[in-house]
Amino acid sequence: MNLLRIHAQPGRAATWTLSWFLFAAGVALYFYTTQQRHRENPDDRVTPSVSQMVQAFKDAVSKPSEEVQADDTSASQPLWERIRTSMLWTDSVATGRRFLISVALLFPAVLLGLQMAMFPYIGAFFLRFCLFFDKIVALSLLPILFIAFGIDELSKIMLIVIGVAPTIILDTYNLSKSVPSEQIVKGFTLGADDQAITYRIVLPQIMPRILNGIRLQLKTVMCFLFAGEMIASTDGLAYRIALLRRHMGMDTILPYVLWVALLLFLVDLGMNVLNRKLHPWFQEA
Amino acid sequence: MAQVAVRLEDVHVDYPVQAGATRKILYGIDLEIESGEFVSIVGQTGCGKSTLLRLILAEEKPTSGRVLVGGRERSQPDRYCGYVPQRYSLFPDKTVLNNVTFGPEVTGLNGFSRLTPEGRKRLREYREDAMRYLRHTGLMDADARKYPHQLSGGMQQRVAIAQALIMKPPVLLMDEAFSALDPGTRAGMQRLIHELWRESGTTIVFVTHNTREAVCLGTRIIALAKEESGEQGSSVALDLSVPHANFDSDEEEIRRLIGEVEAATLPRSASGDACSQSVAVHAGSSD
Repeated sequence: MNLLRIHAQPGRAATWTLSWFLFAAGVALYFYTTQQRHRENPDDRVTPSVSQMVQAFKDAVSKPSEEVQADDTSASQPLWERIRTSMLWTDSVATGRRFLISVALLFPAVLLGLQMAMFPYIGAFFLRFCLFFDKIVALSLLPILFIAFGIDELSKIMLIVIGVAPTIILDTYNLSKSVPSEQIVKGFTLGADDQAITYRIVLPQIMPRILNGIRLQLKTVMCFLFAGEMIASTDGLAYRIALLRRHMGMDTILPYVLWVALLLFLVDLGMNVLNRKLHPWFQEA
Repeated sequence: MAQVAVRLEDVHVDYPVQAGATRKILYGIDLEIESGEFVSIVGQTGCGKSTLLRLILAEEKPTSGRVLVGGRERSQPDRYCGYVPQRYSLFPDKTVLNNVTFGPEVTGLNGFSRLTPEGRKRLREYREDAMRYLRHTGLMDADARKYPHQLSGGMQQRVAIAQALIMKPPVLLMDEAFSALDPGTRAGMQRLIHELWRESGTTIVFVTHNTREAVCLGTRIIALAKEESGEQGSSVALDLSVPHANFDSDEEEIRRLIGEVEAATLPRSASGDACSQSVAVHAGSSD
């Protein structure tokens, strides 16, 4: 059949239709299941209807969480004030803050990987340790982190750093090593010293690939963050999902899952746009 | 008496291949290159031409012997030698102009000095200087804003030459610099480098496997050849002064020189004779 040949050339319409097909099928399957289950039990909470989810999401963006004591004046507050104190907003801010601190802490890992690749003594000092550390399952360290750092923010951030930093270090190390030796020699013959070679020749060349590497690690960062929040936290998106699981609050959990996916998609998109703006030569190369 | 730019004294290079075993690459190389010479180094693939160049660059150390560049042994590549490799000669993340100004900037401006009025003035001077070099190598002003990948192979090598020459290095090392170019572009680049050499008086060491190119460009040709068994490594098989040969020379004379050089590059028997392959077949056959 020609459609399944390597040289098949789907048209614009076919590509568009095929790319959205699984989304449409998933939504249709969900609606069908919901309809069936609600016909048998109108109070079914496992597959909430669209109206239930919309209502739950509206509540999440306009009302404070149950832990927060809402006063009588909250309903009369301006919209922005209500959103700012809402459950979804406070959870998103708490998770976002941890996420951003963790991603910021990954940049020293980039510098370490670069130094390890460029300076053989630094490489000899750190490489074996990083290779070993990269193989440790970060989640298995979670109890140790909670004992060592307590159950506050630090342990959750440390979990992410420990889980992702070795990969970033080794990725940067390999990328730096892959810069052709001709470029290094050329730099020396143009009068550059070790620091100029490292930070003005090698780093700018590998930076777009490093950013792409970090983009690929975003989901891993989120996984570690969610694990930490689910186990020991009093706020955050994952904390809320874990909490609502106990109450079978699928009408809120599903919008939360989609919200997290949307946030991650936007961060990824933002980093991609930034990468293109900062490194126009890379996209075209 | 002309100054000696590069001197190699009884240089041997061995590479370790297995535990305890070594592969000999260069054997007993004695060589003196005077300032202002255009030396072409030729030889068959794997005979150690590029190794010889890396020794002069100080990117590699000889197993024994000494390499003196500008009268002293060097521990790593520096600005005494300019370098134009066959590939990866330009920094892909920098525009053509920034590639050429990289050397002057990195040596002339440090830290935040580029932000001072004096620094900005010098930066402007570097850019004007770079534009002069780019125009001189046949590039247009509009090319200065392009990235290397937007240029053809020949244009990239023109930029690489401008990038090296703006530093005014006493010695310019070119490693198969035109090998990846099509014949037409290559001929243009050969004429360009010959013209630049005449104007600047820079010592050029030009490694190539193209014998015609070596004969027409160089004022001196050094042919490296291996021993037939391959156990001893390569040594200098021919050191020929050809001050008058160039692209406009008599074709018969060029063919004769090519034949002589190609015969010298053939693997030699232990007694030192070139192996019994017909030189006539090779003469003038270079691309």
